[in-house]
Amino acid sequence: MEKYINEYIRPRLQGDGGEITFVEEKDSEVTVLLQGECSKCLILDRCLKWVEERIEADLGKNVRVVGIRKKPYFQDV
Amino acid sequence: MAHIKVERRSMRPEEWIKLRFGWLKREIYSEKHEIEDFRIREARQTSEMNFEFYDEKPRPLRRGDMYFTPDGTAFIEADYELPAHLEGKKFCFALKTAAEMIVKVNGRYVGGIDPNRERMNLSEYVDGRKLHFEIMGYNRSKPDDERNPESLSVRGCRQIFEGGYITVVNEAVTSLVYDIEMLLDAALSGAFNEDFSQLVIDALDKALNFIDFDDIKTEDVRKASAFIEENVFSNKDYSGSGKVALVAHSHLDIAYYWRRIHAVQKNLRTVLIQLRLMDKYPDFKYAHTQAYTYETVEKYYPEVFAELKERIAQGRFEPVGAMYVEPDCNVPSCESLIRQCLYGQSFFREKFGITVDNCWLPDVFGNSWILPQILKKSGVDYFVSNKMSTWNDTNRFPHNNFIWRGIDGSEVYACVPPTHFISWNMPSQVADNWEAYQDKNTGSATLQMFGYGDGGSGATEEMVELMHRFDKLSVMPETEHMTGKEFLHRNFDGNEKLSVWDGELYLEMHRGTFTTKSNLKSFNRKLEFMLREAELLSVLRMKQGVEYPAEKIREIYKKLMINQFHDIIPGSHITPVYRDAMADYEQMEKELSDIIGEGNRYFNSLNFARKSLTFIPDKNGSVIRRGVNGYYAIPSIPALSCGEIVNEKAEGWFECNGLNAETPFYSVVFASDGSIVSLKDKELGREWVKGDFNKLKIYHDTPGNYDAWDILPNYKDKQENIVTDKPLELLKYDDECAEFSATLVTAKSRWQRIIRLFRRSRGIEVENIVDWNEKHRLAKVEFDCNVLSRELVCDTSAGFIRRETHRNTSWQQARFEVCHHKWCDMSEHGGGVALINQGKYGVSAENNVMALSLLRATIRPDPTSDIGSHDFCYMIYPHQGDFVDAGINNVAFEYNVPLVKADVECGFSFSDKLWLQSLKLSENGSMIVARLSEQNGERGTLVLPQKAKILNMLEDEIGAATEIEYAPFEIITLGFEL
Repeated sequence: MEKYINEYIRPRLQGDGGEITFVEEKDSEVTVLLQGECSKCLILDRCLKWVEERIEADLGKNVRVVGIRKKPYFQDV
Repeated sequence: MAHIKVERRSMRPEEWIKLRFGWLKREIYSEKHEIEDFRIREARQTSEMNFEFYDEKPRPLRRGDMYFTPDGTAFIEADYELPAHLEGKKFCFALKTAAEMIVKVNGRYVGGIDPNRERMNLSEYVDGRKLHFEIMGYNRSKPDDERNPESLSVRGCRQIFEGGYITVVNEAVTSLVYDIEMLLDAALSGAFNEDFSQLVIDALDKALNFIDFDDIKTEDVRKASAFIEENVFSNKDYSGSGKVALVAHSHLDIAYYWRRIHAVQKNLRTVLIQLRLMDKYPDFKYAHTQAYTYETVEKYYPEVFAELKERIAQGRFEPVGAMYVEPDCNVPSCESLIRQCLYGQSFFREKFGITVDNCWLPDVFGNSWILPQILKKSGVDYFVSNKMSTWNDTNRFPHNNFIWRGIDGSEVYACVPPTHFISWNMPSQVADNWEAYQDKNTGSATLQMFGYGDGGSGATEEMVELMHRFDKLSVMPETEHMTGKEFLHRNFDGNEKLSVWDGELYLEMHRGTFTTKSNLKSFNRKLEFMLREAELLSVLRMKQGVEYPAEKIREIYKKLMINQFHDIIPGSHITPVYRDAMADYEQMEKELSDIIGEGNRYFNSLNFARKSLTFIPDKNGSVIRRGVNGYYAIPSIPALSCGEIVNEKAEGWFECNGLNAETPFYSVVFASDGSIVSLKDKELGREWVKGDFNKLKIYHDTPGNYDAWDILPNYKDKQENIVTDKPLELLKYDDECAEFSATLVTAKSRWQRIIRLFRRSRGIEVENIVDWNEKHRLAKVEFDCNVLSRELVCDTSAGFIRRETHRNTSWQQARFEVCHHKWCDMSEHGGGVALINQGKYGVSAENNVMALSLLRATIRPDPTSDIGSHDFCYMIYPHQGDFVDAGINNVAFEYNVPLVKADVECGFSFSDKLWLQSLKLSENGSMIVARLSEQNGERGTLVLPQKAKILNMLEDEIGAATEIEYAPFEIITLGFEL
């Protein structure tokens, strides 16, 4: 899962100015850290849903993806 | 007595107007027919014209469905049969989206849709009732233009499809909408007379009363328009002043929050939209920069290019900016900036038969003092660049229309427009521009660019419609829509009232871009010199019958040009842009290495004898420098000649006792962290150190939102704690070099400093091997010199610039971090200290302290910026006399141009008073071009080996000579018959 997030999902989010880092996979929940543009995205849930869909399509795993946002200090208001 | 603030809670007239205006806007379409047959394939762009698809087959796309993916491109199709009653009528295609879409119907590129416009005319471009749509959509989490609040509100990787429609526009409603849009801005912006604003509010309120919003009738709408015509547009009691030239333009960052592969389609969409506006509005003209963007249209979309060419011939689509891209104008070298003009102008000449006489760089982060001469000698008399007026953080740049005098005295007409290069042509923006304009007394008009940008997009129908109404609004300045060229010629030619600005156009912002993403900077420097080497050796090999690889070199140069774009080389971009640039650089390095080739003998490509100690790569060498084995030697090879390197055996030249070292030049006392406590010059009998010298300092660097761009003056307020993990110790010494090492650590990073003292060089080299894992930090190395100097002299790559180091006025205070090239120097009469680098551009100086910026750690736009391993060198070079007497410029060339092996003969040379900046085959293949630049500020006579053509930088012949009198900082281009 970590490899998949880093090698498949991450470049795509980086392409939009975002950043995603794998944190942990526990039971059927995958936790990721979101930085850059992702950290302040108003519609992040849609993107995480897409990540879930990709994981299911490519890894055959049905998981819930939980995002932790880490905003830059200058946007953390 | 208690004070009670009177607050109006009931609806104000302007609120009532805005409410009804919103209802009116809903009636823009008199007919709306939904296209229900959309199909979509989601994809991701992998190169300029290639895509990876997520779906094998298209899936249906219905209103309310989610579409687009992160970093996604979507291919959308639909087939639609036009209702019979619309045949022969005017109709549009409408689709509200946050994405950027190129729309092809029945095989023809008909237009573009994006967050700034939701519809495009269709009826003019299609025949028959059967319509086949092919839409390529590219969605961004960051919209084209963050200044448009509507596009900001819909940002995000995944969007909800809101449906696509064939619509018929109600022209009466639309016209009234534009009237009200313009008048509301005029009335509510505060930019105009209060009484006039009240007149407008009263008139709009009454005009809208003609309309029953439960049953909007076109005749009522016309009555409202007529009322506005009679009561506002016919009223000439209020008069404005000033002259504003309106030039349509779209700023297109080739890479930024997107990769350069995406700029191909961003550019196409922009071009298409502007072409369609030209179809609709016969008076509309538009200015578009960057030869590279035209090249991509020609390469991938020839049918659009043909249309574009026609509009250029008509003078309506205007190529502006003579350069290949809009480069950063701080970091690229003189030769790179010349090539920007050469390759840009060559394209415009070949494809359109024009030489563009202006340089159009609205968004660059300051402009080097060497530019005026380059422009002037590249057919460019006019210069446009916005940022100094709108972005300076300390001083107001005092001119907007002026003459810019360069380092050598060359002059160009310069325009720094008073307001932003992205505007949407509102009356208040036009008025603000005139208000801010500082050269009113020169009699010239001020320049207002209009059009959305950053990622392209450009002018909209609304902007043009408003522009057509401006002369009805008596309170506004006089406006005229024109081309960039018309503006520049009309307002500058022969204008004797223009002031002169003699100096660099320093931007008091974005000072971090000299340092951010340090690998890009050092790679760029290396490749600039490799290109010189490759061209020079290829010319010499031509004499041996080897074909000059003209196409390959041009291709590599163009790739270097693209990566010098003002959001690439400065480091202000997202992660994939960095990866693309590094991949380009690695490929270019390999290709250039192949061209440079190998030989049996060492060749000195410099046009002066190599006299400085040089690192010679050799797998048996005892020194490891930047991961390469080798040794140090003085090549002693004459200019442009081959030779052998003779190693000398030497003993007893070096002594070390703990932190004390003795060399033929110095008695050195180190501190355990590698800083130098004392540096006594044995030859000159003086001490060079006053305080912290070669001291590594890591500052907290928190500039805010413009993280990658800016360094704020408060960075000095807080320092990171640096601990000496391995105190300085002598590693080894040989016949030429003694190496010390110290390792420093912070909580997150590790920094090894290898310090090299030499037997036969005054230079002290410091190699830095860094594992850098910081966030919001700025690493600098500081030198508190025992020198009384009030100026820092900085290399510009084509001469030097003196910058004051005191803080007397706000102008010096603002220049707390500046850009330099290969070296900087602080001298007093008799001697000084130079710092020579191999790809570091940021430097600060205050009083007698200079500090080279080494690394930053920013997180926006790239959260991974500069993280990882670094290995770089700089050289401390104390010297006798001033920097010219000491030949610092030549030492810096020797430090930056590696010695190569090549079996070539030159057979001629040029004066070593001038720098042989380039030796190449001319672009047309007819002559050898030699470019020489005077870099020490001296006059002299250049005697040529044979009669030569004198060329401009576009390689046009402008004269002939066997001897040339040259002036300080002059750049001379010569052509020699093959």
